[in-house]
Amino acid sequence: MDNRILANNMADLYREAARRYKSLPAFATRKKEQEWDPISYEVLYERGLNLATGLIEMGVDAREHVGLFADNRFEWILADCAVQLCGAADVPRGRDITDGELVYIINHAEIRVTFVENEALLKRIDGLRPELPELQEIILLESTADTPEGVHKLEDVIKLGQSLRKQGDTSAEERIAGIQPDDLFTLIYTSGTTGKPKGVMLTHANMMSQVKVIPIELNCTDRVLSILPIWHIFERVFEVFTISCGVCTYYSNIRSLADDLKNVEPTFMGSAPRLWESLYHKIRKRVGESHWMRQLLFHTAYFLSRQYMNSLYFLSGSDLKLKSVSKLKRTLLLPLHALRWILVLPVYGFFNVAVLEPVRLSAGGSLKATISGGGALPVEIDRFFNYIGIPVLEGYGMTETSPVIAVREEDDIVIGTVGPLVDHTEVRIVDLESGKTIYPNPELPDKGRGLRGEIHVKGPQVMKGYFKDDELTAKTIQGGWLRTGDLGMITFNDCLKILGRSKSTVVLLSGENLEPEPIEMRLTQSVYIDHCILVGQDKKHVGALIVPSLEGFKYNGMQVPTLEELAKNENAHKVIRAEIKKMISVTNGFKSFELVKDFRLLSEDFTVGDELTSLFKMKRHIIHDKYSGLIEEMYQQESAEVT
Amino acid sequence: MEFPTQLLYPIDQVLLALMIFSIMFGMGSSLTVDDFKTVARYPRGILIGFLSQFGLMPLFAFGLAIVLELPPAYAIALILIGCLPGGTTSNMFAYFARGSVALSIAMTTASTVMALMMMPLLLELYTAGFTEAVSEEMIAAGADAEFVIPTGNIIASLVLVLVPVAMGMFLRAKSRVWAKTAEDTAGFMGIIVIIYLIGTAFARHSGLMLQTPGSIYIAAICVGLLGFLFGYWMSWLFRLSPIFQRAISLETGIQNGPIAFAIILLSFAEPVQSQMLWLAILYSTFIVITSSFITLYYRRVGKLDYEVYKNTSIHNRLFGEDYVTGYPEGFLPKRIKNDPSQGSTPSQKRD
Repeated sequence: MDNRILANNMADLYREAARRYKSLPAFATRKKEQEWDPISYEVLYERGLNLATGLIEMGVDAREHVGLFADNRFEWILADCAVQLCGAADVPRGRDITDGELVYIINHAEIRVTFVENEALLKRIDGLRPELPELQEIILLESTADTPEGVHKLEDVIKLGQSLRKQGDTSAEERIAGIQPDDLFTLIYTSGTTGKPKGVMLTHANMMSQVKVIPIELNCTDRVLSILPIWHIFERVFEVFTISCGVCTYYSNIRSLADDLKNVEPTFMGSAPRLWESLYHKIRKRVGESHWMRQLLFHTAYFLSRQYMNSLYFLSGSDLKLKSVSKLKRTLLLPLHALRWILVLPVYGFFNVAVLEPVRLSAGGSLKATISGGGALPVEIDRFFNYIGIPVLEGYGMTETSPVIAVREEDDIVIGTVGPLVDHTEVRIVDLESGKTIYPNPELPDKGRGLRGEIHVKGPQVMKGYFKDDELTAKTIQGGWLRTGDLGMITFNDCLKILGRSKSTVVLLSGENLEPEPIEMRLTQSVYIDHCILVGQDKKHVGALIVPSLEGFKYNGMQVPTLEELAKNENAHKVIRAEIKKMISVTNGFKSFELVKDFRLLSEDFTVGDELTSLFKMKRHIIHDKYSGLIEEMYQQESAEVT
Repeated sequence: MEFPTQLLYPIDQVLLALMIFSIMFGMGSSLTVDDFKTVARYPRGILIGFLSQFGLMPLFAFGLAIVLELPPAYAIALILIGCLPGGTTSNMFAYFARGSVALSIAMTTASTVMALMMMPLLLELYTAGFTEAVSEEMIAAGADAEFVIPTGNIIASLVLVLVPVAMGMFLRAKSRVWAKTAEDTAGFMGIIVIIYLIGTAFARHSGLMLQTPGSIYIAAICVGLLGFLFGYWMSWLFRLSPIFQRAISLETGIQNGPIAFAIILLSFAEPVQSQMLWLAILYSTFIVITSSFITLYYRRVGKLDYEVYKNTSIHNRLFGEDYVTGYPEGFLPKRIKNDPSQGSTPSQKRD
C-alpha cells in the first residue's frame, strides 16, 4: 500500500500534500516533554502561500537564490515552502556557519534576500555587512526577538502576503506554474572535508526522482523523529519524502532525544552513525549494570539471534558475498544452515519475545526500522541492531547526488554493504590507476564483481553542477558519470560496498596505499577512544592522533577530570597502547604496513564545525593543519613505539 | 489405552511443583493493584471475555469430548482445561498480536478471581456423565469406592496456587526492580522446566505418543483453536474494536496450564491422574504452537488498525486531549472508522 505523492516539483508537492493530507499534522515542535505543537499540511501550505506572496512583493524573482540560515524548526520548513512556492531556490546552512563561510556563501550565491534564525546570527551578519554589498533584505524567523530597523519579522511578511491574497493576488500560483523540472530548488554549499565550500545545484527533477525511488514504505500513521540538521541533504531528502507520505515529523535535539524517543515513539528515524553508536553504548551499559540473571538472559538471546539471523541471511541470499563462491559449496552449506535455522527458531522465538523486545523498547518504542547515512556505520554496531531486531538500513550518497545512490531494503539486508542501487541508477567501478571500467566489464570474471575501484554514478539524482564553477563541474561529471571520490565494489549479490574515500588514502613512504577508515573505525570501537585519525602520508609507518574517552576511562575506574590531564597520564597511554595492539594486529586481518606504530593523545575534543562536519565526519585537512606540529614531533621521536 | 509406567517420576513432580510455583510467582510479580482497577475500565470487554472464557470454552470442551467419544478420564481433563482461567502467557501473546494488553491483563486478573467460584460450578455441570463412567470402570476393576469430582480439593488447590501470586504481588508492591527480575527469572525457569518435562515425557514415553488415539490429539489441539475462533467472532458480534477482538480471542484460547497441573496433581488420584496429566501436557505443548501462528497472523492483519490506534493515542498525549486526527478520505477501513476506542479520548469520535 504505497501512497506517496509523486509531484513534478517541490511546490507541487507542498500543494498536493495539503490537498491530500489536509488537517493531518505535518510537523510538530516540542514545547514541553509531553506537550507538542502540531502544524497541519493545510496550514503549512496556506501560510507558505502567504509568505511566498509577501516575498514576491518584496522583490524575490523566480529562480533567485534566497538565503536560509537556521537550524531545524518549523519556520525553516515554512520558509522553504514559501521559497519553493515563489519559484525560487534556497541556500540553506545552520547556525554553526562560520563568518568566513557566511561571507563566501552570500556573495558567491548572489543572495539578496535571506532568512535568519535568531538575533545572535543577525548580529553577526550585521557585523559583516560591509563585506556583503548585495544583501538587501533580512527576514527574522524567531518571533520573540526584538527586530531592529531594516529587518522584517516573519509574521509581517506573512501578513503582507495575506492581505495581498485577499485582494486577489495570484502571483504565487503563476510562479508555481512556471517552475521547470530543471530549475534549482536548492543550492547547498557543502562544508566538505576538503577545500572551500562548493555550491551544489540540485533541481526539482533531482529531488522528485529521489522521492520516487526511496525503497521505504511510510504512511500517515508513522512518526519520524528528526535530529540531523535539516540543511543537510540527507535530512532534507528524508523530510521531503515524509511530506510525500503524509508522515508527521517531530523535531528533536541531542539534549532531549532520550525523552523524545520515549514520548513520540517514532516508527522510523534517520541518523548519522554517531547516534547509533551512542545508543549502542547506552544499551550495552544498561545491560552491563543489570542483574546477572538478566545479563545471562540477554547474552543467550543475543547469541541465539546471531545464529538465527546468520542462517536466515544465508538462506535468503543476504550474506555478505565478497568473493565468488562455487554453487557446489553453497549447495552443501544450505542444508546445514537450514538445520540450524529450524533448530534455533523456537528457542529464538521465545528469547526474541521475552528478552529482546524490552531491549528494543528501550531503544525507542515502535521503531520499525532506521536509516543510517552520512558516514560509515561500524560493522559491530550494524550487526548489533540488526541482531536485536531493529533493522538498520544503511545508505550511501552525497550532496551531489541529492543524495541517495544505494540503500538497503528492509527485507534484504546485507550487513557490510549499503544495499543495492536505487532504481534508475547506474554505477561504474573504475580502476584508480588505469582509469578503466572494471565493473561492469564483460571481459572480467563475474563482470568485475568483487573488484575495488572508484565509484562513478549516473542517474536522475546527479546534480546539475557546481554553481559558477564549470571547471570543477567538468572535472566531476564526465559524460553524465559523476566521480564520487569514494572507493567501493559490487558484491556478488549486487550490493554496493564502500571501502573508504579515495582522497583520504594515506600513501606511506614505502609507496604502500592504506585506507584509514576501516582502521579508525575499528579503533573507535574501543571504549577508551572517542575519535581517532590516522596519519603517515609520506612517512615510514602509520601513526594515529587519538581523542581518549573520559567516559570510557571513568567507567573502567580511572577518574581523570579533563582530557588535558588524561593526555599526560602514563597509565592512559599504556591502556591505549594495549588497545591498539589488541585491535589492529596481523592476526585480526590487518596487513603489516597497516599496523599503528605510534600515537599521540590529544588534550582537546573534536568539535562540530571545527574538526568535524555536522555529520561528525572528520575534516582531515583541518585536523592535519591544526596538529601538524604534533604529527611532526611524533615522527621525529621514535621512543613511544607500539611494537 | 493403558499407562505401562507412571507418567511422572517423583523428581518430575517436584520439578513440576517448582515450575507451578515460579510461574505463578512471576505472574504475581507482574501484577499491581492498578490492574484490578483496569478491570473496571473495560466493563464491556471483561463481560464479553467472561462469557467466552467461562461460557464458550467449557462448552467446547464438553462438546469435543462427546463428539470425539473421548475416554472419560480424558474428557474430564479436557473439561477441566476448558474451565481454567487465563494465564500471563496470553498477555505476552496479546502484546505481539497487536492486541490490547491492558484488556488481556484485566481479563487474566478477573478470570483468576472468578475461577474460585466458576470452576467448581462448571465442572459439576459438565462432568457429571463422565464421572459415572469412571466409577463404573473402577467398580468393574474391583474398586469399592465411587469416583467423584473432588470439589473441595479443587478449590483448595486453586487457593494454594494463588498464594505465590499474592507473594509476587507483595514483592512487586515493595520493589519494582526485584519484581521485574523475579518475573523474568520465573519465566525463564518455567520455560526450562517445561522443556525438560516435555522432553523427558516424550523420550520416556515415545510409545505413548503413538498409542495415543488421534481423537485425543484433535481434542487437545481443537479446544484452543475453537477458543481463538469463537472469542474473535463473539467480540466481533458485540462490535468491539479489532485490538480488543485480538486480546479476547487469545485470552479465550490460552488457558492457565500450570493451574491444571496443580489441580490434577493435588486433587486427583490414579487411575485417572496419569491420563489427565497426559492431556494437560498435550494441550500445553500444542497451545504454544497454535497461538504462535495465530499471533503471527493477527500481527499481520492488525497492522493498520493498531498503528492508527497507536498514532492517534500519541497525538492525544502530545497535542492535547481534544486533538482530533483527521486521516485522509478512504484511509481508514470501515471497521475502525467510527470507533471511539481508536483514540484514547472520546473526542476522537469522528463522523
